[in-house]
Amino acid sequence: MKLNRRDVLRTGITGLSMAASTALRVGVFGRAAAALAADAESNGKILVVLELSGGNDGLNTLVPYGDDAYYKHRPKIGLAKKSVRPIDEHFGFNRGMVGFERLYKDGKLAIVHGCGYDNPSFSHFSSMAYWHTAAPNSGEQYGWVGRLADTIAPEAPPNFLVNIDSHQSLAVRSRRHVPVVFDDPNKFTRDSFFDETAVLKSTPDAGKVSNPSRQFLLDTARSAKDASTLVQEAWSKYHSPVDYGIVGLDLPKVAALIEAGMPTRLYYTAYRNNAFDTHVFQNDVHQRLLTYASDALTAFLQDLKRIGRADDVVVMAFSEFGRRVPENVSLGTDHGSANLMFVAGNKVKGGQYGVPPSLTKLDEGDNLIHTTDFRRVYASMISGWLGHQDTSELLNGTFQPFPMFG
Amino acid sequence: MRRVNPVGALLAAAAVLALTPAPTLAQTAGPAAWQNDLTPITAKDWNRDLAAHLLERAGFGGTPAEIDALAKMTPAQAIARLVRYEGTDISHLLPFDESGIHDPGLEPFPPSRPAVTDLAKKNGEALGIKVKPTGNRRLQPVVDEFFYWLRASVLETNRVAYWWANRMLTSPRPLQEKMALFWHGHYAVNEPKVRDYRKLLAELQLYENHGTGNFRDLMVAMAEDPGMLTFLDAGVNVKGAPNENFAREIMEMFTMGVGHYSEKDIREAARAFTGWNYVDLKFVVNKDQHDDGVKTFLGKTGNFDGVQVIDIIMQQPVTADYIAGKLYRFFVRQDLSPELQKKLGAVLRDSHYEISPLLEAIFLSRDFYSPASVGTQIKSPVELAVSTYKKLGLITIPGAPDFNNATAALGQRLFSPPTVAGWAGGRSWITPGLLLERGNFARDVLFPDINFVAPDRVAASEEVRRVADRIRQGMDITKATIPDTKSGEMAESNMSADRDEDFNTRYGSFRGSQLALERVKPIPRDTAQVHLAKMVLAEKPKTTTQVVDYLIRRFMRVPPSDDVRRELVAFLDHELGTSDISAASTYLEEPLRLVLHLIMSQPEYQLS
Repeated sequence: MKLNRRDVLRTGITGLSMAASTALRVGVFGRAAAALAADAESNGKILVVLELSGGNDGLNTLVPYGDDAYYKHRPKIGLAKKSVRPIDEHFGFNRGMVGFERLYKDGKLAIVHGCGYDNPSFSHFSSMAYWHTAAPNSGEQYGWVGRLADTIAPEAPPNFLVNIDSHQSLAVRSRRHVPVVFDDPNKFTRDSFFDETAVLKSTPDAGKVSNPSRQFLLDTARSAKDASTLVQEAWSKYHSPVDYGIVGLDLPKVAALIEAGMPTRLYYTAYRNNAFDTHVFQNDVHQRLLTYASDALTAFLQDLKRIGRADDVVVMAFSEFGRRVPENVSLGTDHGSANLMFVAGNKVKGGQYGVPPSLTKLDEGDNLIHTTDFRRVYASMISGWLGHQDTSELLNGTFQPFPMFG
Repeated sequence: MRRVNPVGALLAAAAVLALTPAPTLAQTAGPAAWQNDLTPITAKDWNRDLAAHLLERAGFGGTPAEIDALAKMTPAQAIARLVRYEGTDISHLLPFDESGIHDPGLEPFPPSRPAVTDLAKKNGEALGIKVKPTGNRRLQPVVDEFFYWLRASVLETNRVAYWWANRMLTSPRPLQEKMALFWHGHYAVNEPKVRDYRKLLAELQLYENHGTGNFRDLMVAMAEDPGMLTFLDAGVNVKGAPNENFAREIMEMFTMGVGHYSEKDIREAARAFTGWNYVDLKFVVNKDQHDDGVKTFLGKTGNFDGVQVIDIIMQQPVTADYIAGKLYRFFVRQDLSPELQKKLGAVLRDSHYEISPLLEAIFLSRDFYSPASVGTQIKSPVELAVSTYKKLGLITIPGAPDFNNATAALGQRLFSPPTVAGWAGGRSWITPGLLLERGNFARDVLFPDINFVAPDRVAASEEVRRVADRIRQGMDITKATIPDTKSGEMAESNMSADRDEDFNTRYGSFRGSQLALERVKPIPRDTAQVHLAKMVLAEKPKTTTQVVDYLIRRFMRVPPSDDVRRELVAFLDHELGTSDISAASTYLEEPLRLVLHLIMSQPEYQLS
């Protein structure tokens, strides 16, 4: 007897030979149900966080060419008015950022000015940890994206939270979820010989384990089994005609998972390895970094349109700090404070939010004084985009969201 | 919901019948009360399991014979043997075999390709290569030389890493190499920034020669080290315009940790380091760029130079606490109480920053042998690879799989720490993706890929390969170097990458790679010489259960669950067609390798 899927559904399943596949199917359906429940809470929208690590120089990203003070602080590395891509009579994008300029002019890019926090840290690692946890100057041990997952999907369905990187970011550290972390989708697989498959696929319950490192490894092994097949299949089926540019970041991988219908609602990716830490001879390299980031992000949105999910995805980009307002003697810039954030997507109400910080009233270390607590932008993502209204517990304080979704 | 696996279930069911009661495979630790207790253990506490634990942490694990040798000593002798290694002869270890690839004229190496071509336009030459007087692409030879050195330095650095990994595997002073690995992660200088293998080799030798010596002296040596000076842009830190990067990282990363100094302290310290620079491989102070004015640093005032700043840092109690805590986390476990950290800091202070007394105190302590410490550390990728080879009884690091690519895929490439913070270590070594990759590494060792291609003998990227192919087909440079783009819109970066006027960057990248490949010596590509059948038969096992238990004991510090052990035995029974080893002794090798691959794929295999 040959059964097709509808026959199986109509007649029910009999026979021992079907037992194994039934167990599998119930498993998958069970997970799907949990993911659907989580959908209800997060309204099906997807948030992609893009970290620009190293401290992007916001002043040479969106250049305040209309402000003489900018050129006074940066006589050598200041970008001339004629070389920028103006978006109004005051600001212009770095000339490498064709994509951002277009997104902005299409009304799909929100720029948030002056993002930072009180008592800023000038250490990459401390400041990044503050942004990761949304808890400056505290020892919070879970990341804000991880806590967000805990809040909107407390059942912790598998594959809800994905972090594409060589290591797990503090931002996704979660109490309940085991984030899916991988780097190369082609390598996110267990290579095995035919005979070994059964043993490698079995997940015996080790019971309660007293060694915490061992428990952690066992949990991770389970998450790996849940996700690896899905990710690999998604990647092998992904064939996009869109050009993501030279670097592409990890955004094509995100697009592949979205196209494959992964139940993931939160993605975390990074422009890695402190790339934006431009202490010396910065202009060429900085422009290049911006071009890569701008190309990749613009392509990603274009790709989402192709996939038919453009209305469901928003990208939020940030850096752990901006850079010192005056240039240094090595034609670069040192660690600073307040900076721009970007939010891009089809459903974003493009424009400028927040107040640009003054270039004449700096703090004693010649840094911008922040005008927007960065957690306001997080709050905008959590409530305005993902639809979870009460952000104060999650962010440990009240932060007014920006009305940037229409 | 647990997935039911019919094959696995059948195998497991069959195995239950044949199985003898599980012996204790778990390695013994001391009592739980030993946690946080720095009292030295005594000879009567000492046993083979504790000796094995010591060798895992103070070295890269050991073969049964190496463990036996330590177990026969008293704990104090065993630890002295490892820590006070100066008397142990290593004259048989060969020095690094240089390819001889550094050309005169390469120093000082400009920071970027545009900087090189600007220099060439201005001076008519750069990197020791003159600009062509007339003709097309007059700067091309200069650009070729730039890319030559970029690639050659990477390839030679990979050879240095191989040389080092072989020392980790074979040196009779394993702690010397382990400490070098600690300092390498601590100072975290990387090749992509320094772009000169010679500076990295010199640093490695500094770590090896002073790794258990005086921390203050090591810190001064590192502050004057050309690799470090390049890495943290100290060369551009000059009077009147101090660059803070170096001063900040010295305090935040190398000595005190964040929160123990102000931004003003950083600026003042930066002034003290102004003018510190290097010429080729030598440290110099450019007197006219050095700010010898009065500075106020951590509450002290004087016209300090960099060494004096380091000495003031060493007077801070927090410095000893920070270094002692970091060493403890590297060697023992991640969670460390503030009280214990203070005690360890006091040991370091009392010895005036001599490292070896602190190491002895740690390795002798009850705490080190308590259940909180034993079998709870997640191996770094380099430790995983080296200890795997060690336990297999290898005497050289295999060329296939490539050591550097294998460990990089697991998150750790020697001479390439991701940031100035080094590798985060601990649980950050493991993600779902990386856990699978660790099993795949074991498979590549036990079943080498017959299609393996030596990564140091081929083009470094798809793009270089493409350009090379087109050039060989007789295309002109412009056509050959047009980037391959997919249909649709072309990204800005691909349009502007190459202007092809005075020089062609993509061609330079190809030509440079080709020159580097010619001049850098190849890495030997032998596969692992594994003889599991011989290893196992020497133990005279009668049953598959005994074989599996032997392999678990030899290769794992924390055994898997009984269920997994039963599955492994059932698997071996199935592969051998019998549970009687004497019947199967002539065809053991491949089934044993499969079982060992399964063992190395277990979550518990990652623990040290």
